[in-house]
Amino acid sequence: MGRSSGGCRQRELHLSILISPDAPFANYSPLSDRFDECVDASGVTRQAWRPLVDAINAMGRDAFESMVADGAALARESGATYNAVEEEGERTRPWELTFIPLVIQAGEWKALDTALKQRVRILEAVLDDLLGDQRLIKERVLPAELLMNNPEYHHGYRGLPKVGGVRLHVTATDLARDTDGSWWITGDRTRAPSGLGYLVENRIVTSRAYPHLIQQSNIHRIAAFFLRLRQMFESLAPRAASANPRVAILTPGQKSYRYFEDTYLARYLGYTLVQGRDLAVRNGMLNLKTLGGLLPIDVLWRHISDEQCDPLELDPGAIEGVTGLLQTLRCGNVAIANSLGSKLSQSPSLLPFLPAAARFLLSEEPLLPHVATYWCGQEAERKFVLDHLDSLTIRPAFTVRGDRPIEPAEMSKQARSQLIEAIRARPENYVAQAPVPRSTTPVWHGGKMQSWYVALRSFQIQSAGVTDVLPGGMVRVSPTAGGIDYAHGAVQLGQDCWVVADGLVDTTSTLLPPPHLSLKLVRGGAELPSRVAENLFWMGRYSERAEAIARLLRTTLVRLTGEQSVSSIPEMPRLIAALAAIGQIEPDYAVEGLKKALPKLDDALPQSLYTIDQRRGLLPSLTAMVDQATAVRDRISLDAYRIVRRAEEDLTQPVQRGGRADSRFAINRLTRLITDLLAFAGLCQESITRTLGWRFLMVGRRIERACQTAELLRATLVSVSMNASPIDPGPMSPSTNTLGPTPPAAKAEGREENLSEKGDPKTVSQPSDERPILEAVLEATDSIMTYRSRYLLRLEPAATLDLLITDDSNPRSILFQLERIVEVMQPLPTEADEVGTPIDRRLAMELLHRVRMADPTDLASTTPSGERANLDQLLEYLTDNLPELSNAISARYLIHTFASQSLTGQVPS
Amino acid sequence: MSDPTCQFSVTHQTRYRYSEPVAICQNQVMMVPRRLPRVRCQETEIVVKPTPTLFFSHVDHFGNHVHTFSIESAHRELSVHVHSIVEVTEPTLPATADGFTWEAVREAILSTQDANWFNVCDFRFASPLISLGKPFADYALRSFQPGRSIVDAGLDLTRRIQRDFKYQSGTTAVDTTAEKAFSMRTGVCQDFAQIQIACLRSIGLAARYVSGYLRTLPPPGKPRLIGSDQSHAWLSLYGGETLGWIDFDPTNGCLVKADHIPICVGRDYRDVAPMRGVVLGGGRTSLSVSVDVEPIRVASPKPNSLSR
Repeated sequence: MGRSSGGCRQRELHLSILISPDAPFANYSPLSDRFDECVDASGVTRQAWRPLVDAINAMGRDAFESMVADGAALARESGATYNAVEEEGERTRPWELTFIPLVIQAGEWKALDTALKQRVRILEAVLDDLLGDQRLIKERVLPAELLMNNPEYHHGYRGLPKVGGVRLHVTATDLARDTDGSWWITGDRTRAPSGLGYLVENRIVTSRAYPHLIQQSNIHRIAAFFLRLRQMFESLAPRAASANPRVAILTPGQKSYRYFEDTYLARYLGYTLVQGRDLAVRNGMLNLKTLGGLLPIDVLWRHISDEQCDPLELDPGAIEGVTGLLQTLRCGNVAIANSLGSKLSQSPSLLPFLPAAARFLLSEEPLLPHVATYWCGQEAERKFVLDHLDSLTIRPAFTVRGDRPIEPAEMSKQARSQLIEAIRARPENYVAQAPVPRSTTPVWHGGKMQSWYVALRSFQIQSAGVTDVLPGGMVRVSPTAGGIDYAHGAVQLGQDCWVVADGLVDTTSTLLPPPHLSLKLVRGGAELPSRVAENLFWMGRYSERAEAIARLLRTTLVRLTGEQSVSSIPEMPRLIAALAAIGQIEPDYAVEGLKKALPKLDDALPQSLYTIDQRRGLLPSLTAMVDQATAVRDRISLDAYRIVRRAEEDLTQPVQRGGRADSRFAINRLTRLITDLLAFAGLCQESITRTLGWRFLMVGRRIERACQTAELLRATLVSVSMNASPIDPGPMSPSTNTLGPTPPAAKAEGREENLSEKGDPKTVSQPSDERPILEAVLEATDSIMTYRSRYLLRLEPAATLDLLITDDSNPRSILFQLERIVEVMQPLPTEADEVGTPIDRRLAMELLHRVRMADPTDLASTTPSGERANLDQLLEYLTDNLPELSNAISARYLIHTFASQSLTGQVPS
Repeated sequence: MSDPTCQFSVTHQTRYRYSEPVAICQNQVMMVPRRLPRVRCQETEIVVKPTPTLFFSHVDHFGNHVHTFSIESAHRELSVHVHSIVEVTEPTLPATADGFTWEAVREAILSTQDANWFNVCDFRFASPLISLGKPFADYALRSFQPGRSIVDAGLDLTRRIQRDFKYQSGTTAVDTTAEKAFSMRTGVCQDFAQIQIACLRSIGLAARYVSGYLRTLPPPGKPRLIGSDQSHAWLSLYGGETLGWIDFDPTNGCLVKADHIPICVGRDYRDVAPMRGVVLGGGRTSLSVSVDVEPIRVASPKPNSLSR
């Protein structure tokens, strides 16, 4: 088969027998001047690829395409986002996958494996020297300028203890392949390399696409690597006695490009995901702030920048880390991976010096070459770079940044001379690199098999004396060579990487704990970080709020689009008043004359689904709910998250007809939204264990539902007379509170805002038929079915008020909410030395008592002027005190963070 | 022969008062004088109130003493009292000092011929508060003329900075960069020192920041006022193997004498900030600081003192 004549015959055989024109690979023809991963120079499919290529060809085009479409939908729903260059910049995009993996044969991988282990050894030795006795500088192997000019270098990193005997625990190497098939290193990632999460996701999605193939083709599993990763972290724990150390992943937070991956890894590895504000250094230990108190953290896998780790000793403005971390490290009470200062090793300016450093420190020759790199801080190099500018790419020398690499050849004359000036002024800040040679690989895109450029990121784990290389890696492909280096605006897809094993594949590795270790059984909950409790609480409130608005809006829209003319719908003014009261539409609609308002409502109501103008309206509530859900993504099920995202996506795409938002579409949307929200509520009820987290979610939900119902009743049923014009919006005195969270202000403050709205109380004499509004109210509260089953078609105020307020068997009644609130709050932790019932619980019980004591007949009774004074009094009490309850819970459990301030010991002069 | 050493009792008292309780504070102080060729700290005592939960000390990369402590119970007042007995020797320059040109010093460092080239590396480049550049170099070169001795040129630059920049408190803050202060032409001792360091590094020399105290002399015939002394800052310029580090005080436009008591050295203020801390809570804070430098033994006056 190695001979070319044999190869040709093979190719003909392939074409004539196996490949029908319908086969996806039928017309694959790679670029002639590149190494193609799949097909060799004579056009023959490489050995390692054959099972895969045959399997795809056998599927045929249609089956393959539908598989790709299914898989893509699956990947999209996981909500994966990706940023090709790992610096902060918030330029994330959905992670998209091509369903053809990159296949690497056994022998080839073996050589790479050896070379990558050596790479880690070299980087470790160099970093250890630079943070140690700096022989490389003393002996002039590295110019002192290289280290001293590097803004990532901080003297504070020196003298910090190494944990587990090394400084680089998890590393990554970026690779590219030249036309002759040899591999080149294009860069190193030594701080907190991203990509491991995507790699797992790629493998899961791809193996689902080819369930049997991956087993039959003897492909290396990646689980063993993650098992080693876990063992490595656990071995770093400083407390030798601890058999079950707490490992946490420190993420920069949900605004970061890393967030998706961090939540993914936390879930996959079973680690606690923490942010800086979840942490506290106390008594020389690093702790997680939880509802149940402080819990020590043994090992921190930090995904934040080195200088962010401790505002006391590093960057004073740092907010992603925790005050006092460095002292905790010096005390040996916590292990941090990778070590502080590890960011230095990935500095591009270091690349040209690594071979000499390897010779000096290890007496080794690097097995893999790196892409030609010139540091302009040296005179000869600077001259070379300026002389050959057009054939080079310019990058920052010290930091890996998300900026577009500078291509002088493509610059205007003016920009080019500015660049030359900049290099001359600060030469040490620039490196120049020769073009990266890249191989190609088949990618199915736009309905045909194309040949795209490949970037492979390999991952390694290092613990004392042993380095493990992940068999495979994260592959990115792009139709242009430039698209790999700078993904923004260019097409870029992810790919799985299959490494063929030459021996038996380890299929036994699993992330489940080893059977000989008996796990301490826990029914935890107190471990809930306070921040997470806060997120869950508000997620509950926002989702309930969104549902209440959606229901009322649907009830109103259904009537607007009915057969009757608008002015003959008697309940309309009340519904509009209610919509205004809960903040979905401007209060003007309710106080303006009905005749003036209604024509506009036809347009304005459906439009209000999509606007963010009303802070407390539907879309802002839903968005706020998704934000909260995203913040606790590691704690809610994937299914639940999918629903939340779908609901938001659905609502953020306005549908217009003839330039106007359409009512019928709006009704359909609202119905879908309500279904999604119910599904989400159901999942929360059925799939979340009854831990403290669930309790906060429930309390949030119940408070909001009680608020919404009280508000609705107040706007619709307090005043009986309603034949008046202009519309009487109901007895909204200036003291009336509008309930509910006000995103985003309330979120930031954790406080309710009491909005007073202009009332326009009128005294009108004629009592009117209340049946239409009772029906609408029952519909909006999802209680119409229950009502009809009890009273058939007789709609009466007392029965309605009973069902919605005082009936403890109706899950929509206010009493039901209050009973659940009291029940759910009972087991929340209290301070050990606390005497008596805490304020939050007392408030909840008072509310419950008040509603229990209410009599529906009294509530329904009216004064001669047509007011339900008793009802108004009760509802006013509720709308005043439910927000107080929410505030009391926030103050007690959720707001742990005082504002911090810094001391300088300097009198401001 | 006269005794060139002085002995001082230095007391640095920092007191914070808070309007609201502080739940926890974490602090670092760099107030204990380090060992330097002409400085010996003979005795030191740090008293923190309330009593810290934890108290650690370590020596940093530059050889300075760093004390880290935390107070983890609620408190409304923090006081840090540092008292040291320090022996300071009046700096002297050898008779041959004028023979070392600044270019020769620079050349020896750059070519790594100078035995200390590696040790002074830390102080040749930009640091968090000090950037380098042509404006600084241009300003420096008016003093650093070709062939001039490094001491002479250094002192000339020191005097020019005192003359050209206005000492004015309130115009800059602890995190003001040398560049900013240079463009504003104003600042306090920290800014003056950092500006001069930026100038010296920009022409290829090694210069470091020195934090310390300055003993103030009462007006003739008046008693010494306790607590009226000051935290001070100046700089050291590396003058080659023979001269070593030479201290200049641009705030006062002079070479440093025995009245200057150094505490720590670093690249800039950030490396040696006498106190930094993070507190949770506290509300409004009020701070009072007093420094007292009490002479125990003063050097007998010398006929040929350093003033040039």
